[in-house]
Amino acid sequence: MSAEMANEIKLISGRSHPELSEKIAKRLGIEVARTISLNYSNQETSFTVGESVRDEDVFIVQSTATGDVNEGLMELLIMISACRTASARRITAVIPNFPYARQDKKDKSRAPISARLVANMLQTAGANHIVTVDLHASQIQGFFSVPVDNLYAEPSFLRYIRENFNPEDCVIVSPDAGGAKRATSIADHLNTAFALIHKERPRPNVVGRMVLVGNVEDKVAILVDDMADTCGTLVKAAAVLKENGAKSVLALVTHGILSGNAIETLNGSVLTALVVTNTVPLGDKVQRCPKLRVIDISPTVAEAIRRTHNGESVSYLFTHAPV
Amino acid sequence: MVRNIVVLGGNSHPALVDSVCNALSLPPCNRILTKFSSGESRCEIQDSVRGKDVYIIQTGFGGNGSRLNDHFMDLCIMISACKTGSARRVTAVLPLFPYSRQPDLPYNKAGAPLFKAGSESGKKDYTFDSVPATPAPGIPKSAGLTNGTDITSKLLKTSLTNGHGVQSPIKQQNGDSYFPANGVNGTTTPSPVTRAGAYTTHDYENLSHIGAFQAKPGYKQWVAQAGTLVANLLNCAGADHVITMDLHDPQVQGFFDVPVDNLYGRPLLKRYIQQHIPNYKDAVIISPDAGGAKRATAIADSMGVDFALIHKERRPTKITDRQNASMMLVGDVRDRICILVDDLLDTGNTITRAAKLCKKEGATKIYALLTHGVFSGDAINRVQASAIDKVVVTNSVPQDKHKALLGSKLDVLDISPIFAEAIRRVHHGESISVLFNHD
Repeated sequence: MSAEMANEIKLISGRSHPELSEKIAKRLGIEVARTISLNYSNQETSFTVGESVRDEDVFIVQSTATGDVNEGLMELLIMISACRTASARRITAVIPNFPYARQDKKDKSRAPISARLVANMLQTAGANHIVTVDLHASQIQGFFSVPVDNLYAEPSFLRYIRENFNPEDCVIVSPDAGGAKRATSIADHLNTAFALIHKERPRPNVVGRMVLVGNVEDKVAILVDDMADTCGTLVKAAAVLKENGAKSVLALVTHGILSGNAIETLNGSVLTALVVTNTVPLGDKVQRCPKLRVIDISPTVAEAIRRTHNGESVSYLFTHAPV
Repeated sequence: MVRNIVVLGGNSHPALVDSVCNALSLPPCNRILTKFSSGESRCEIQDSVRGKDVYIIQTGFGGNGSRLNDHFMDLCIMISACKTGSARRVTAVLPLFPYSRQPDLPYNKAGAPLFKAGSESGKKDYTFDSVPATPAPGIPKSAGLTNGTDITSKLLKTSLTNGHGVQSPIKQQNGDSYFPANGVNGTTTPSPVTRAGAYTTHDYENLSHIGAFQAKPGYKQWVAQAGTLVANLLNCAGADHVITMDLHDPQVQGFFDVPVDNLYGRPLLKRYIQQHIPNYKDAVIISPDAGGAKRATAIADSMGVDFALIHKERRPTKITDRQNASMMLVGDVRDRICILVDDLLDTGNTITRAAKLCKKEGATKIYALLTHGVFSGDAINRVQASAIDKVVVTNSVPQDKHKALLGSKLDVLDISPIFAEAIRRVHHGESISVLFNHD
């Protein structure tokens, strides 16, 4: 047996996104810890630990697989709790796509603030630290009383734009007012123009009328958002941009949840490309949608894990994307 | 009509919610409880709960196309929504408490673990007196513990377990096997992993994953216990009170910081025995395992009926007729009616094997009375093919599907009056203990 020191990185992978865990492990030059999650026939989740986590620095990678959010969340909680009872020194939940991030406010009477519930549950289970990517609302960090490192996909997006387009031909467009900050930040870094689409949303997962604020004529319009779920917003926004004279429209989105008929919607849209990161497992969606491009986020997450473990600053990653 | 009380139902057992509301003569709270297309739960409570006493009914059962973990998350979200909606008190009503069984490593009937142990490397260096080295830079971590499997394999050779099936002294009993394919009767287990049906404790949804799993050399793998976590999560969501029934482990009550009322299905089962089993005074009440002995003796004592116990023998030294695989009957059942009493039927392994043993011992008729009939995995087929003449369960989980499949072999008792009365009493601050001993 090799000379292992105590308090090393133990990377534990949930079932939701093993590919990402593998990539992170490879990047860190370690192996994913030997654990296995299963469901009993009565559907209870079972988690078996096959190596010691005593006094180790445990990182548990669990994303949200589309359609299986609660399963993944419960599995994550059980994994955290198991590591805590097994005397792990520190437990960091690496949740690239934070579940229930959109249910973050009491927008009507008796609406649950599920994001806060999830935050409380993670802490109750025993998480000492959270690493996530592009929280829907950064205020969610305030739901936690443990440190939350909210990484950005922005540096990766900036590189993608610089490598594939001439920034002078581009306009960065935010598909809603809420994402304006995210989009302006990218526009500022690239020194390009910025536009905004105002939308009305009568019901969840349904999009109403849209108005473009700004000029996109003869430009490559780049829509920037944090998540693409059913893609109704993106596709409608793309149509609005096209109507307003955009040369072509593409979308840069951190979390490609792509639920429901998203793939069909995308295939039939005027979008030339949808660029997502691999925070959410995409399965066969890349094959089913020729417009889908994937940026690998694992170098950023792996570097955050390495820096967290070594007690180095993570803020470098907010502006730089490791290759 | 009870005032200032709101009964909110989850999606796991709408029929029970309706009958509890009926018994309390109030309408269930209007709510939207669905899923967004992304898979996140969507919950909207449409009636006011401000200052109300809220009871949320959600049982720990996934089936009929729904998932157990979804139901549990829904419950937490509903509790949290009521709390933020200024409810005075939120009570979680869980007829079947999820994750109440403490899981164990899956093992075959002979006691050998189904997971492969880590490969035994370097066991020559190991002596029983080895002391783990203090980890420090340059010093290998836990030098003395790297070959812990050695202990495991040594223990396996002692009389604690049978060891692996191939070496087992028990021969397969032919002829009267109920499930030859499942090998429930069999003890010849050349490869435990490849054989379905040999595992105990909990069945797994997909066994093929287990075979691939290997612990690190020298580490004895273990299974996470989720009971405390579930209790903590309910606390954290904001439950002020929990009502449940026949907890598999009464210790789960101690996991909570809030009051837990553990109701008993015993009076219902007792009434069934008295009303539906002819000559029940001459019957024998049997506990299928030692853990349920207390439950079964309580019923036997209160009715003055004989009691017997099935002991799961893990170290057969001499094979006798009284033995069925590794089970042993303590007590006499010849030419008598057997009433098996337990709290939970999950995969049906324990109860069907117990029934088989009773039949072999000469029982005339076998009843199985259980509080919770989960019937997961291939339990329905197992029960169908077993020696059990009648299974009696409560509707703590939806039984419509099970009833349709098992027909007259299954009798369902209604627990909604008990829960309605418990809710009424908790709301009015009356004693619940009266419910525990009424007949």
